[in-house]
Amino acid sequence: MGEVVLETAAYAKIILHAAKYPHCAVNGILLADATKIRDGARNQDLDIVDTVPLFHHSHNLSPMAEIALTQIETVAQSSNRVIAGYYAACENFRDNTVEKCPGQKIADKIAEYFPSAVFIVVDNKKMVQHLDSPAIKLHKYSDGKWKPKDTQVTFQTQYTLETVSHLLQRGVQKDLVDFDNYLDDLSQDWTNLGIEKLIASINASNTIDCDEKDYR
Amino acid sequence: MEQLRQWRESNERKSEEIIEIWEKSLCNNIDKLANDKHLILEQVIYAALDCHMYRVATVCLLMLSNDFPGSLRVMKLKATLLEAKEKYDEALAVLDTIIKTDETNTGARKRRVAILKAQGLIPEAIKELVDYLKKFMSDVEGWQELCSLYLQVQDYSRAVYCAEELLIHQPHNHLHHQRLAEIRYTMGGLENMELAKTYYCHALKLNPENTRALLGLFLVTNNLLSQYKSSGNSAKRKETFRLCQWAQARTAQRTAKESAAPPLDQMMLNLAITD
Repeated sequence: MGEVVLETAAYAKIILHAAKYPHCAVNGILLADATKIRDGARNQDLDIVDTVPLFHHSHNLSPMAEIALTQIETVAQSSNRVIAGYYAACENFRDNTVEKCPGQKIADKIAEYFPSAVFIVVDNKKMVQHLDSPAIKLHKYSDGKWKPKDTQVTFQTQYTLETVSHLLQRGVQKDLVDFDNYLDDLSQDWTNLGIEKLIASINASNTIDCDEKDYR
Repeated sequence: MEQLRQWRESNERKSEEIIEIWEKSLCNNIDKLANDKHLILEQVIYAALDCHMYRVATVCLLMLSNDFPGSLRVMKLKATLLEAKEKYDEALAVLDTIIKTDETNTGARKRRVAILKAQGLIPEAIKELVDYLKKFMSDVEGWQELCSLYLQVQDYSRAVYCAEELLIHQPHNHLHHQRLAEIRYTMGGLENMELAKTYYCHALKLNPENTRALLGLFLVTNNLLSQYKSSGNSAKRKETFRLCQWAQARTAQRTAKESAAPPLDQMMLNLAITD
């Protein structure tokens, strides 16, 4: 019970966001598939299908976070998703703990509405161009605190790390749009459809490859 | 070349791009550059440190110190190189020598703050920066950094003080008004909300295109409306309601024109207080 599965697009956006602003703390929201979720149950399985990158500056201020969260919720509801967690990366390379992350209050609030919420902390030390292990750490909310989760994160496909490494090497992080970028220029798309499509096409070619292998 | 100058003047952090230009075209014929040579070398050093390419930085630094032996500016670069390599004590020693020779060297003093911040010693960094600002009160950059450090430790009332200081120095910068409004909103309470409203209005007056201020004004007026409702202050309520309507209309107008993401209208309805 309580297993967390990440889709490639969700993981990619976290890593790309951290890579786009290596000198800033970043944060964002995790969205899960609502059809698999039972109301109010604690510690249930989560299928994180998407993430929304929020901010890279002006952390710890609430107005724009409120705007972002209401808007994300509206969009998520219409595509049958729920806000199921929070991710953050610290500004300082050596800080990889929940306590040093920006916007813990946002995370606490999410946990209030969604008790099985997860808090993902980016592990700065594992952020490299060739990802060989998931550069994130999972945390669960219990007794008013975020506690590290023992189990490793699992990915939807076996190609996730490879795909995201590929995106990093191609410099796709430059095209990622977070909510700060959107507020600076309303024509930017914070849902990052372009990157999602790119990942979908890479995923498709991966499955073709493995079909061919099976065929032989 | 033109590009490098542009980045230098606009203070953009394009380290990877700068290094790319350096390696592709500049590193072999740097001597052909006349006036810009030393400025570019300095720019490349900072870019290289940002990308952890210490060898490039060291080479450029050697060229600079050959041309300017004993220069404090070059010494500061040397301290920055030590800092990047996390040799903090050595970096501090170099900085202290600079400060001893030239007491008004603000750059070196600010790097001392940066070193504390890099070590994660936020309260110590705040203390050092406060000491610095006592001596150099008109340093806008310094106040800005102190403001964000206070926000980081969630000391909002002190952050407000810094933001107000910024406002005094640059009263026509809409971003300072917006920042102050955001802090007041975060602090909450009737009085702070009313202040936030005023600052958001100022920000919008100075720059009508400021989306954050527009959305912030919408939030603030909604919040105030619900507070007035309970206290029954009808004159204030009417005024705030008009402001709220205006913010909503303008947001709808702007998002309809430019937004690629789903429109804000639905969100507005969710937030709006039915009157």
